[in-house]
Amino acid sequence: MSLETLIPSLILFPWLGSILVWAMHDRNEKRIHMTASVVSIICALVSIQLTFQIGNQKIVYYTFGAALGELSFSADAMGVILVLIANVIGSLAVIFSMDYMQGERNLSRYYAMILLFIGAMSGLVLTANIFIMFFFWEVTALCSYQLISFYNDDPNAVRGGLKALLMTQFGGVGLLFAALMIFNQVHSFDLNVFAEAAVNVDIEQGVLALIGFSLIIAAAAKSSQFPFFTWLPDAMEAPTPVSALIHAATMVNAGIYLLSRFFPAFAAVPAWKETMIWVGLIGILLTSILAITTYDLKRVLAYSTVSQLGYMFVAIGSGSVLAGQFHLLSHAIFKALLFLAAGAVIHACGTRDMRSMGGFFKRTPFVSTSFLIGALALTGIPILNGFWSKELILESVHKESSTLVLILMLISVGLTAIYTLRCFKMVFMGKNDYAHLHPSPPAMKTVLGILSIGALTSWIAISWFSESLKQTLPYHAIESLNVTEMAHHIFSDPITCFALGITTIGFLIAWLLPKKEFPESLLKLSANSFGFDSITSGVVQSIIASAERIRCIQTGILNWNIFGLMVGLLGVLIILFMGR
Amino acid sequence: MKPSTILAILLILPIFSSAPVYFFGRIGMLRSKGKPGEIAFFLALASVLITFIFFALAVNEFFKTGPIDIYYGSIKLSFDAISLVMSGTLLLLTFVVILFSPVYLSEELNQEKYYAQVLVLMTSILGLTCATDLFNLYAWYELMAISSYSLVSFYCKTLEPLEAGIKYLVQSAAGSSFIILAIAILFGGTGEVAIPDLQNAVSGNSTAIIASVALFVIGYGIKAALVPMHFWLPDAHCQAPASISALLSGIVIETGLIALLRSLSVFKNTSLPIGTLFLIFGALNMLVGNLSALRQKEIKRMLAFSSITHMGYIVLGVGFALTSATSAQMSDGIFIHIFNHAMMKGLAFLCIGALFYYLKIAHGSREPISVEDLNGISQHYPLFAFCLSVAVLALGGLPLFSGFISKWKIMASGAVASGAWNAILIIFLGLNSVLSLGYYAPLVNRMYRIKGAGADVIAEKQTVSKMIIFPLVILTVGIIFFGLFPMVLDRFSEAAKNAFYTMFY
Amino acid sequence: MISKIIIFGIVGLMGIGIYCLMITRNLPKVIVALQVLIKGAMIAIIYAGDISGNMDLAQSMALTIIVADTIVAVIGLALAIQAREKTGSSKIQSISNLKK
Repeated sequence: MSLETLIPSLILFPWLGSILVWAMHDRNEKRIHMTASVVSIICALVSIQLTFQIGNQKIVYYTFGAALGELSFSADAMGVILVLIANVIGSLAVIFSMDYMQGERNLSRYYAMILLFIGAMSGLVLTANIFIMFFFWEVTALCSYQLISFYNDDPNAVRGGLKALLMTQFGGVGLLFAALMIFNQVHSFDLNVFAEAAVNVDIEQGVLALIGFSLIIAAAAKSSQFPFFTWLPDAMEAPTPVSALIHAATMVNAGIYLLSRFFPAFAAVPAWKETMIWVGLIGILLTSILAITTYDLKRVLAYSTVSQLGYMFVAIGSGSVLAGQFHLLSHAIFKALLFLAAGAVIHACGTRDMRSMGGFFKRTPFVSTSFLIGALALTGIPILNGFWSKELILESVHKESSTLVLILMLISVGLTAIYTLRCFKMVFMGKNDYAHLHPSPPAMKTVLGILSIGALTSWIAISWFSESLKQTLPYHAIESLNVTEMAHHIFSDPITCFALGITTIGFLIAWLLPKKEFPESLLKLSANSFGFDSITSGVVQSIIASAERIRCIQTGILNWNIFGLMVGLLGVLIILFMGR
Repeated sequence: MKPSTILAILLILPIFSSAPVYFFGRIGMLRSKGKPGEIAFFLALASVLITFIFFALAVNEFFKTGPIDIYYGSIKLSFDAISLVMSGTLLLLTFVVILFSPVYLSEELNQEKYYAQVLVLMTSILGLTCATDLFNLYAWYELMAISSYSLVSFYCKTLEPLEAGIKYLVQSAAGSSFIILAIAILFGGTGEVAIPDLQNAVSGNSTAIIASVALFVIGYGIKAALVPMHFWLPDAHCQAPASISALLSGIVIETGLIALLRSLSVFKNTSLPIGTLFLIFGALNMLVGNLSALRQKEIKRMLAFSSITHMGYIVLGVGFALTSATSAQMSDGIFIHIFNHAMMKGLAFLCIGALFYYLKIAHGSREPISVEDLNGISQHYPLFAFCLSVAVLALGGLPLFSGFISKWKIMASGAVASGAWNAILIIFLGLNSVLSLGYYAPLVNRMYRIKGAGADVIAEKQTVSKMIIFPLVILTVGIIFFGLFPMVLDRFSEAAKNAFYTMFY
Repeated sequence: MISKIIIFGIVGLMGIGIYCLMITRNLPKVIVALQVLIKGAMIAIIYAGDISGNMDLAQSMALTIIVADTIVAVIGLALAIQAREKTGSSKIQSISNLKK
C-alpha cells in the first residue's frame, strides 16, 4: 500500500469501526468483542506497514477551510513510532479487554471510544498542521474523559474523568494559544514552515519564548507533569486496559511528542530547556515518594508513569531527543505490560488494595513472571529495554546538565527501585488469604506474553530507531547508534555503575522496609498529593463560590433589571467618551 | 422570475400564510376531537417548505448577480450575504422546530396561534436582515419582538411563563424607546434614515453622535442579550416551550446583534471605540454566562445562560473584526458560529423538550427537567441521550463537532492582529471554554449512568414518535458533518464576511 | 426657546419613564411608565422631522411607532391581568419567582 492510502486508513478505519461498534448497541456481546478486536488488529498490521514508509514525502489532501489550513500529513519517524505504539498496544489492549470486560454493560460505548482514540492518536502524531494536531489533541482528551468515567455510576470515576478533562483542557489552552501565535507569526499552520522560520531566527525572541512556554504548559498538562500531575492517579478509575493504553502507553506521551517535535525551534530560547528539566525533575521526585506511600496497586503504577514521563522531560531538556524517544518506546511497552499484568491480578482477586493481596507468585506464576519482567525493566535492570533507555537519559544528563540534576536523578533511580520492589513484595510474595481466584483466561496470557517478549528485546531496534529518526528529523541533531555503540556509550560511563549500585541499595531498603503501616500524617499528605489536590480543589471551590455570588445579580425583580440596563448605558457612555 | 419578485415572495409568504394557518387551524381545532393542531401544522410546514424554495432561488440569484434589491416607495430592502446566512439558519431552525412541534404540543390548546406566530416571527427575521434603513430595521425588530412575547408566555396556565413574558416585554420595549431616540437624533441631524446615506453624512464625534451610538448599543443590546442587559433572557428562554427556546436562542438574539451591527455601520466614518465596546461586552458575556450556568439545576436555564456565553464568543469575534482590518478579513467565524450555535442550541433545547414530553407531560407533570432527571436516561432513551451528548459537547467546543471549528475561527481572527489585548482575550476565551465543560460534561456522565434516580418514571417507557426523532437526527448529523467538513460552509461565510467588511471598512 | 422646551420635554418624559420603571412596584403602573417612555421617544422623532425638514417621513414613522406601542401595551396588560389572576396581586414582588 502507498502512503496516500495508509495514512487516511489509519485514521478513518478505526473511526468507521467505532461507528460500527456503536451502532451494534449491546445486543450481542460476543460480536462486539470480535468486531473491535478485528478492527484493532487490522490497524496494528497497517501501522506496521507504515514503518516501511518512514521518510516518504509529505502528502496533502485538501484545504480544510479558511483559518484552518491544509489537511496534511507527514510520515516522519517520530510520528510513525508513536503510531506503531498506539496501534499495536491498542490492539493488545482490545484483545485483553475481551476477557477483562466480559459481561460488562455498555460495551459498545467502551470499544467505540477506544477505537476513536486509536484513530485520533494516529492523526495527532502524523499531521503536519498544528490546527489539525490541536483537533486530534482534543479528540483524545474527549475519549480519555469518557473512558475514565466509563463506570458513570461510580462518583469517583466521574470525578476522575472530569478532573482529567478539565486539567488537560486547561493545558489545551496552551497549545491553542501557541498554535494561534504561530499563525500570527508565519501566517501558516504548517509545522515545517514554523520550524524553518524559528531556526532561521525570523521570529521575534520574546514571541518565540511565549510560544515555547505555552507548549510546556500544554505538554505538562497532557503528560500529567508537575504541577498538573494529580489527574493521572485519579484517572485510574478507568477499566485497566484503558489505563494501560491511554494513561500509560499513548495519550500521555502526546506531551513528550509535542516537545520533541518542537525541540529545534526552541532549543535556543533561554531557560526553556532548564524549565523542562525542572518540571520533569520535581514531578519525578514527588511522585516517586507518593508511589512509596500508596496502597492502591494501580495508583503505584500511575505515579510511576508520571515519574517515567518526567525522565523523558529531563531527557529532552538535556538536549537528547533520541534518549527521550527511546525511553518513550521502552516505557510504553513495559508500562503496558505492568498495567495489564496488574489488570490480570485485579481481575483475579477483585480488589486494588495491595494490603489485601499477597502470595500471587505461587498461584499465578505466568502473570507474576510477566509483572516481574515489567518491574525489572522499570527499575532499569540490565538487558531489559528500560535499562538501556534509562541509562541513555542519565548519560545525556551527565553530559549536558548540572551535577545537582544528576544527583537528584540518581536519587530518583533509587526511589524507583524502592517503590517497585515494595509493590512486588506486597502483591506477589507473602501469604495468600484468597479461597478462590479467577483463573487468567488465554487471551490475557497471550497479550502478557507478547509484551514480555517486547520488554526483553525492544532495545535491539536501537540502530533502526536512531537511523530513521536521524534521517527524517534533520534539525533535531540526532546521532545514529547501533547496539554495540550504545553498549559502549553506556558501559564506559561511570554513571551506569552508580545507577546500578543505587538500584541495589533501593532494593535492599525496600526489602528491609518494615511491613508496618506508614504514619497517619504521611498517608494523609500523600493522599492529598502533597497539597496539590488542595490547590486544585481550592481553585474549584473559589470558582464555585464566585459563581454563586454572580448568580445573585439575577435578582428576578423587574426594577433591578431596568437598573442593570441603565448601568449598561452609563458604562457605554463612559467608554465612548473616554475613547473619543 | 425576476430576482426582485423572488425576494418579495420570500419576505411576504410566511406572514401572509400565517392568517390561513390561524383561520383553518382554528376551524380544525373546533371540529376535530383527536388531533387539534394537525391542520395548522401541515399548513405551517407547507409554508416553510415553499419559503425554502424561494430562499433557494434567491441564493442562486445572489451568487449569480450579487445582492437582490427591491423598493417599496422610498424603502429599499436588500438581500445580501448576511441576510443569506441569517435566513438560511432561520429556515433550517424553523423547519426542525415545526417538525418537532405536533407531538411536543399535542397536549396543548391553541396550537394554531403557536404556528401562526412562528410564521410571523419568521417573516420579521427575514425582513430585518434585509432592511437597509434604520427605521425599517426598527419596524421589523418590533414585529419580531411582538410575535415572541406571547410565544414566551405560551404556557399561560402557570405563573412563571407569564412572569417571564412580562419581564421580557418591559425590558424589550424600554430598549425600543432607546432605539427610537437614537434614530431621532440621527434623523434630526441629517434628515436621513437610509444607512448608506447616513454613512456619508455622519462623521466626527460630537456628543449627539456618542449618545446615539450608546442608545443603539443598549437598545439592540437588550435583544442581543449583552451583559448587563441580559436579565430577561434566562427567564424567557427557560419558560418558553422548548421549541420556542430553540428559536429564541438559536436565531432571535443573533438577529438582535445583526440589527445592532447594521445600525452601527452608520458610524463607520467616526473614530469612536466601537470595537473596544464589543470586546468588553464579549468578555463580560462569556464570564457572566458561564459562571451563572455553572450551578444551575434546571437544564433549560443552564442552556439559556450558555446562550449568553455563546453570544459572548460571537460578540468577541465582532470586536476583533471592528478593532482591526486584518481580523475583519478573517471574520467568517462569526457567521459560522451563528449557524453552528443555532444547530447546537436548537438540538439541545429540542432534546430537553423531547425528554420533557416523555418524562413529564406524558405523566401529567409540568415540573421542568432538572439535572437529576437525566440520570440513566441512556438506558431507556438512547437516542435522546446521544443527541443531547452531542449537543452539549459541541457547545463545550470539543472537536468532531461543529462548535469547535467556529470557536477556533473566531480565535484565529483575533490572532492575526497583533496586540497584547487580543492575546489575553483569546486565552480568556479558551479558559471560558474549559469552564463551560465544567457544566456540560457532567450532564453526559449523568445520562450514561446505568441506574437512574427517576427509575419509577422511566419504568413505563413510551414508544418514541418518529416525528420527534427526525428533527433531532437532522441536527445531530448536521453538527457532526459540519464539524468534520467545515469547508462546505466556506462559500457562504466568505460572502457574509465580505459584506460585513464593507459595512465597516 | 421652543426647541429647548421640546428637548426638555423629551428628556423629561423619558427620564420620568425610566425612573418609574426603576421604582414602581405595581404592574399596571409599569406599563404606564413604559408608555410615557415611548411617548417621549416619539416626540423626539417628530421634533427631528421638524428640524430636518422631512416631516412626511417623521409622520409615517410616528404612526408606525404608535401602532407598535399600542400592541405592546395591549399584550403587556393582557399578561399582567393573567398574572394578577394567578397571584391575586399586581405587585412586582409577586412575579419574581424566576431568579438566580
